[in-house]
This record gives sequence, structure tokens and C-alpha cells, in this order.
Amino acid sequence: MTRNEHTPFSDNIPAYAIGALDVDDIAALEAHLKTCASCQTELAAYRAVSASLLTATPPKQPSAELRKRLQSRLPSAQKPARPRFAWSFGQLAVGMALVLLLALNTYSILQMRSLQLAQTQLTRQYRTGQTLISMLSYPTTERLAISADSVVGSLLLDKDRNIVALIVWNMPQLQEDKTYQIWLIDPQGERVSAGIFRPESGQAYTTQIAFPEQNLSSFVGIGVTVEPAGGSAAPTGERVFKVDF
Amino acid sequence: MNDTDETALIARVAQGDERAFLMVYDRYTSRVHGLTLHILGDPMLAEEATQDTFLKLWSRARQYLAERGPFLPWLLTIARHVALDRLRLEARRPALSDSNDPEEVWQTLPDLETVAEESRWRSTYFAVQSLHPDLRQVIELAYYQGLSQSEMAEVLGWPLGTVKTRLRAAMEKLRELWNEK
Repeated sequence: MTRNEHTPFSDNIPAYAIGALDVDDIAALEAHLKTCASCQTELAAYRAVSASLLTATPPKQPSAELRKRLQSRLPSAQKPARPRFAWSFGQLAVGMALVLLLALNTYSILQMRSLQLAQTQLTRQYRTGQTLISMLSYPTTERLAISADSVVGSLLLDKDRNIVALIVWNMPQLQEDKTYQIWLIDPQGERVSAGIFRPESGQAYTTQIAFPEQNLSSFVGIGVTVEPAGGSAAPTGERVFKVDF
Repeated sequence: MNDTDETALIARVAQGDERAFLMVYDRYTSRVHGLTLHILGDPMLAEEATQDTFLKLWSRARQYLAERGPFLPWLLTIARHVALDRLRLEARRPALSDSNDPEEVWQTLPDLETVAEESRWRSTYFAVQSLHPDLRQVIELAYYQGLSQSEMAEVLGWPLGTVKTRLRAAMEKLRELWNEK
């Protein structure tokens, strides 16, 4: 490659390193970087410059209230205080017998409910799997990569049948009062909810399928945020990831 | 605190040790908050972003790998992403592709631990301040506001070519100053 052919790529490296390169130029530069050792070295040097900007702002102590607010969000602040009782031996014996009886009954009920829940989950997983298989086999289904911090996965987009599927790994578990919410993003930046979900515990990946009422072709992206349980009318919480169509 | 002590402290946070978490908070909150305040410009929004950063640390501490680099840049990278996301949400601006994701930052972080922390932020701060105002402005908009070159051209009313030239010049200048250190 001559210097003149090389220059447009090397000229873009500082902007790419600082995250300011326009989207239209990124793909070409990334393709060039795969085969050009000198540009890789240049990029490493400019990335070091960019990373140094992390530490180029003066420290500033926040209010003391922030520490208290943060402390109130920690698990130890969520646990209710345990009540204290004074029991006689007889009361204790009767109490223990009642507790045991209640525990046995409760165990039976819980076993039944657990089996029903497992059956419901298996049915849901089976149907989800069938839908994903059909989307993958459909010729016009688009597959887009999801990548944000440790969250990775795929977005399947079927505009013909108006179905969106998310298959995402490493979604953090949420507190009971939170949920993930899917947002479809229109060209004006307006967000329309496409449903809420919570990751299943014990499973490394999460799948979620949405059948939005609106036509998917009128949207340009999808995002997921953390919202209060039950969802929100508009995004209020931390964004987990966003994908542009 | 040396590297080993800090690694052990973060490992305790990853195990749910709240006391260790608050020690990390006390040690680094001024650095995190300085960055979020610089990006957001509003004390209330900056405190929310600082809080969100430390909540992310609480839930993701196990993802920090000491062998890949120092802890503070990892934490500040999270803070920058949180603050820029909040900035975009407030401005209802679409997110941009960001080449500075935490995984890639690991590969090229300077050896920040060889310089005392106080002198480090001062030297990088003054390096930026020493730039010509036009060059400093594009660095501010690119890194601390998350704008692309096209967006900067629109905001500043400059031709796109001018933005590109000035951003390149600013980065080259900072690279020179960094190499001098």
C-alpha cells in the first residue's frame, strides 16, 4: 500500500482512538487495522493518550449524603430487623410442634407449585426455542451483535413477521424491585416499550421474544434499560445495551 | 495501599464485603465524581452517575482482573460510560459506537501506577489545559461529551475537515506531551 493509499486510514486513527470517528468510517478503518501492523501500533499509542484523559479531571468530593444513599442500597440495609421474643418452655414446645406441622404442609404445597412452575417454564422455553429456530431459518431475518461491557449476544430482527428476539449472555441479576425493559427507538429518538423481562436465575443466558404492536420497520434501534418492577412509561434507569438497526 | 492490598480489597468487594466496598468508595469517589461532574456539568446528575458507577462496581467487581491492569482506570472507564449514557439520555441523542470499551482499554493503558496519583492527574490535566483553545475544545467534546466529528462540526459550526484536522492535531500534541513524561 502506498503512502497516499495509507494516509486516509492513518489520519482517522486519532479520532477512532478517542471514540469520535463517524460511524461511516469505522468499518473501513477496522478492516484496514486487521492487516496493518504500523497502524495497530499507532492506534495503541493514541489509545494510551485517550486513556490518560480518564485521569485529567480534578478530583471533586461529592456530598456526604451520597455515601448514605449508596449505603442504603447495600444488602445489609435491605434486611428487616429480627423481632425478639421471650418464650416459656411449654410455649416453645407447642410452638415448635405447630411450626413443624406447618412446615410439612407447606413443603407439600411448595413441591406441587414447584412442579407446576417447572412445567410452565419448560413449556415457555420450548416455545421460545421453536420461535428462535423459525426466525433463524427465515431468509430475511437479520442478526445483529449485542456487545456492552460483559453483556454479549445477538438480536434477531424479523421485520416481515414483526418479531424481535434477544439472546443475551451475562445479564446481571436484578433486585426484586427491578426489571429489564425493552425499548424500540424511532428516528426522532422517541422510545416505545416492547416489554419487560427478568433473567432466569441459574442460567447464563437470557432469551426474550417480543411481538410489538407497532411496525418494526418504523424503528431504527433497540435498547434495554433497568426500570422499577412493572416497567416505566419512558426510560428512567441505567441503559444495559443498545443496538442500532 | 499497594497493588496487592488493593487487589485483595476488590476481591472482598466481589464477595459482597460491604465494608471493603465502602473503603473503595472513600478512596476513589472524588476521582469518579470529578470525572462525572466534568462530563455532566450538573452536581445532581453527577452524583447520580457517581452512585450508579459504584453500584455497577458492587454488582460487577468480580469482572475486574488485576492482571489486566490497574483498578482506577477500570473504574473511571465505567464512570465515563455511565456519565456519557446519562448525557445522551438527557439530550435524547442516539448513542455512538465507542471504541473505548473497557475490554479494549486494558490493552493499551499507560503504566499509571509509576506516577504518584496526585501528580498524575495534575500532569494530564495541565497537558490538556496547555492546548490551544480550539484544540482543547475538540478534545472536550470528543472525550467528555462523546461527540463524533460530524456532531462536533454541527455544534461548533466548523467545516468537518477543520474538525478532523484539529482533533488530529490535539491528539498528536497530547501524544508528544505524554511521551515527554
